[in-house]
Amino acid sequence: MSNLLRKNFKLCFIPLIAAFYLFALMLLIPNYIYLIPCFFTTNAIFYMFQRCVLNNDFLYTSFLPVSKRDSVKAMFILVVIIELVMLALYVPMIFLNRVAVSTPNSAGVDTSVTLIAMGFCVFSIFNLVFLPSFYKTAYKAGNSFLKASVAVFCFIFVSEGVFIAANSLGDKVGFFGWIKDHLDCWPGSAETLVPQLIVLAAAVVIFAALTMISLKRSEKNFEMVDL
Amino acid sequence: MLLEVNGLTKYYREFKLDNVAFSLDEGYIMGFIGRNGAGKSTTIKSMLNLVHRDGGSVYFEGKDFFQNETESKAHIGVVLGEFNCYNQSKLKDITAVTKRFYPEWDDNVYKSYLEKFSLDESKKVKELSAGMKVKYALTLALSHNAKLLILDEPTSGLDPVSRDDLLDVFRSIIEDGTRSILFSTHIISDLEKCADYITYIKNGKVYISQDVESFKDGFRLVSGEAEDLIKLKDHLIGYKEHAFGFTGLVKKEDLDFFEGLKQAPADLESIMIYVEQEEKHE
Repeated sequence: MSNLLRKNFKLCFIPLIAAFYLFALMLLIPNYIYLIPCFFTTNAIFYMFQRCVLNNDFLYTSFLPVSKRDSVKAMFILVVIIELVMLALYVPMIFLNRVAVSTPNSAGVDTSVTLIAMGFCVFSIFNLVFLPSFYKTAYKAGNSFLKASVAVFCFIFVSEGVFIAANSLGDKVGFFGWIKDHLDCWPGSAETLVPQLIVLAAAVVIFAALTMISLKRSEKNFEMVDL
Repeated sequence: MLLEVNGLTKYYREFKLDNVAFSLDEGYIMGFIGRNGAGKSTTIKSMLNLVHRDGGSVYFEGKDFFQNETESKAHIGVVLGEFNCYNQSKLKDITAVTKRFYPEWDDNVYKSYLEKFSLDESKKVKELSAGMKVKYALTLALSHNAKLLILDEPTSGLDPVSRDDLLDVFRSIIEDGTRSILFSTHIISDLEKCADYITYIKNGKVYISQDVESFKDGFRLVSGEAEDLIKLKDHLIGYKEHAFGFTGLVKKEDLDFFEGLKQAPADLESIMIYVEQEEKHE
């Protein structure tokens, strides 16, 4: 597996992905949808797969003394690393946002632990849709990315909608009020930090579970692909 | 037996690879011939699990290939035409990654082939000509002490001098009697120079798989006049008419029908050309 990971980093990983991490700076924009940098990360992953297709990486890997399942696993590990690095970058950017942006975010979820949990959800959905779809053919990256983007945007639209509603209806509707006071705010006290950490833990479990389901489906799909 | 293929089957909508079976012992070169679309590449890809087979088994060094895929592939070198991967990468970067997968990788052998084929490691794949790409693919396949080399069209795209050099390399590889080569090609003259066995695949089925001499000895070329053709064409596998009559291919056991006509030994290329005419004349 370590040889496959080394191959993926040397021959599949594109420096452009590092440039995509600069989108984490978007967390310093006041009143912005802070899940967008996560979506841009999925773009980078798509470009990487597209490049692998153009470079005949999947055919080349199949000549090597590795099983098809291991080659899928190695790509998954690379994808998860790329995603986790972006979420790790969210942490300092959330603190910087706290210093640089004084107004609460009216465009969606505010910079908080909840935001990172939402990022995990975005990547869970992307992994669940994009990867098994791609591994059905091992070349239709564009088609698979389109499907995954629709799913990711549906999630962003609904989830950010809930936080926008919490901002405007928080004082009138109890449910939105609780979200506004406990999840969509700076986790400065135990009263806000604990629920946000619970949401984060749940999101991590969802991410792990959906990525594992995606891995199993992708392995099964790739096994049937004629290269 | 180094390689044993039994009943390999793969269904496509308009083509079927039908119960392909052949075997190859250590120390021999087997030529894999057939027309475009006959099933040569599908056979090779099905053998290597690149294509999902619908039936059949492959044994490599006595072990089920599909049960021991990783271990088996470490001892097999594969070249499917020219090297068309990672166009933007330098050869040395691809080699550095590739060599780690093979426990028996030999840097000295690798360097000797780089030198032999005049390959510059600092070049990117996109900077190589078609022939040089084939040579690089061969260099990778030859550098990890593979017991079996599976080569699909390895000599296409090479100039005659390089092809001849490569055939010498093939002969030297099998010299110690422990390694074998299975290679498909359309350049039949290459097989005449180096193959010990021939497996001829036609419409997805193995037509004949045997040693080259017996294969060639099973056929004769006969020539006669136009009126002979009218009487004898049912006994011919294939024929071509020309200004002086005809030339055709006949099975050795049917030679009695052609007594009195001019006969000559058949070469591999003629056999293939006339056998492929069989259906056209039916």
